[in-house]
Amino acid sequence: MSDTKKTIPLREGLWTDKGHDGTPHLLGHRCLNCGEVFFPQKENGTCTNCHSTKLELIELSRKGKVFAFSVVMLRPPGGYYRGDVPYALANVELPEGIVVEGLVTDINQDDIKVGMEMELTIDKLHDDDEGNTLMTYKFRPSAA
Amino acid sequence: MKKMREVVVAGVGITKFDSYDGEKGRPVREFYDLGSEAIQKALDDAGMEWKDIQAAFCGSVYCGTGSGHQAIQKVGLTGIPIVNIENACSSGISALRLAYQMVGAEIYDCVIAAGFEQMPRGPIQSTAWPVWQRQMGFNVQPADYAMKTVRYMEETGATEEDFARVSVKNRKNGALNPNARMQKPVTIEEVLSSRMIAKPLRFLNACPLADGGTAVIVCSRDKLKSQNKVVTVAAAALVTGIYGSPRIPGEDHVTKSANEAFEMAGLGPEDMDVVQAYDTMSPGELWDLEKLGFCKKGEAPRLLREGHFDLSGKLPVNTDGGLMSRGHPLGATALAQVIEIYRQIRGEAGPRQVADAKAGLAHAMGAGPNSGVIILKR
Repeated sequence: MSDTKKTIPLREGLWTDKGHDGTPHLLGHRCLNCGEVFFPQKENGTCTNCHSTKLELIELSRKGKVFAFSVVMLRPPGGYYRGDVPYALANVELPEGIVVEGLVTDINQDDIKVGMEMELTIDKLHDDDEGNTLMTYKFRPSAA
Repeated sequence: MKKMREVVVAGVGITKFDSYDGEKGRPVREFYDLGSEAIQKALDDAGMEWKDIQAAFCGSVYCGTGSGHQAIQKVGLTGIPIVNIENACSSGISALRLAYQMVGAEIYDCVIAAGFEQMPRGPIQSTAWPVWQRQMGFNVQPADYAMKTVRYMEETGATEEDFARVSVKNRKNGALNPNARMQKPVTIEEVLSSRMIAKPLRFLNACPLADGGTAVIVCSRDKLKSQNKVVTVAAAALVTGIYGSPRIPGEDHVTKSANEAFEMAGLGPEDMDVVQAYDTMSPGELWDLEKLGFCKKGEAPRLLREGHFDLSGKLPVNTDGGLMSRGHPLGATALAQVIEIYRQIRGEAGPRQVADAKAGLAHAMGAGPNSGVIILKR
């Protein structure tokens, strides 16, 4: 084992590994003017709904419900996705009133249903060309 | 919108949609071959020559820089302004809308809108998604449609059999369209047993890709070479995304584009005799008809079952077979939607002719998002 290989997030700022309760949380923005919540963070610092620039960084709820899903049977074009095929995607509605798209893990893909409780997990996406392990956020069935 | 002068369609041109890739005995044809063929056909249809055309708007998605210039230089070099438009699947309608406005505003009297595409061979670079989302596997169009389909099923009770019926209807119509890539009908059983591509969508729920060219010439009425069976552009609308979330429901951009077009035309959904709805994926045709205002949400599957949208039905939809049969050359698709409405109103649709079609609506939508609506009338 080479110790030069690292575990790195797919992208900075998508989540925090240790939120206020010591567990991982997605990071989003809440508009202080209209209350709308965004994921991921608004890089340009502007609310798409009301155009206010007064945004606060927030930790999003760990749990939500499946709003929609699909099991993808073909490899996406471009070679960016290196995981298994088929793979499951879900839009998960969070209590904040937003829908977040993510990969679904730890479930028989035929068992995914609309309304199912999901929770956030941080999991391996794939190894990059340098041998680093790329981590990303996923959803898995909620442990009740 | 300011009141403009009347704009009429002078002529249309369309190539056969096919895969012109040189494989299995098929010829190799480049986008400019397809574009120029469609432009020449439109000129012939209009009884015009290239020197009659004062400006050109050309829609394409994957054809690179100056694609319209390359197609047009095979027809003529007269120095006219040529503007290339990339608006994903709505590129052709975006081009026609500008041509319509130029003539309506009396800037020009005769303008051509073209749309063409030779689809890239091999994997398409999906630049519509940020890299990290591509790494997560989000960049699969059918998966986006699949999730919308799951919602539609949840909210309306529509079934996979309903979606199969859309494919069956459109492929049946496509069998009557010599320009369609797919001219063989399919059965419900064949659709439901075709391979899954993104659950719950199957191979025969998806339109095939294709290469092709289209062109529409619009002009002021006095420039027409014949006053026989004149077709007027009653409306051209283009609407992009409107912010919405579960907390703040935004207006649907498709509905808004239809409403704007109906208002412009002074007509309503009940006045349409034929419709080209958007069927990249067969469930999409159902919710598209609902969003365009032809029935209430959740009603389209029942109306389809009852034959309402058949060629012989009360409101024939996708009489040329739609994207499902024609295939989908991105830049050419939107004008193919318009050309079928024109043919129907002119009474030139041959074996798929709808009786006494006086007015019709063509829709194209897609990435952006964009939603483009054209209404033509007698």
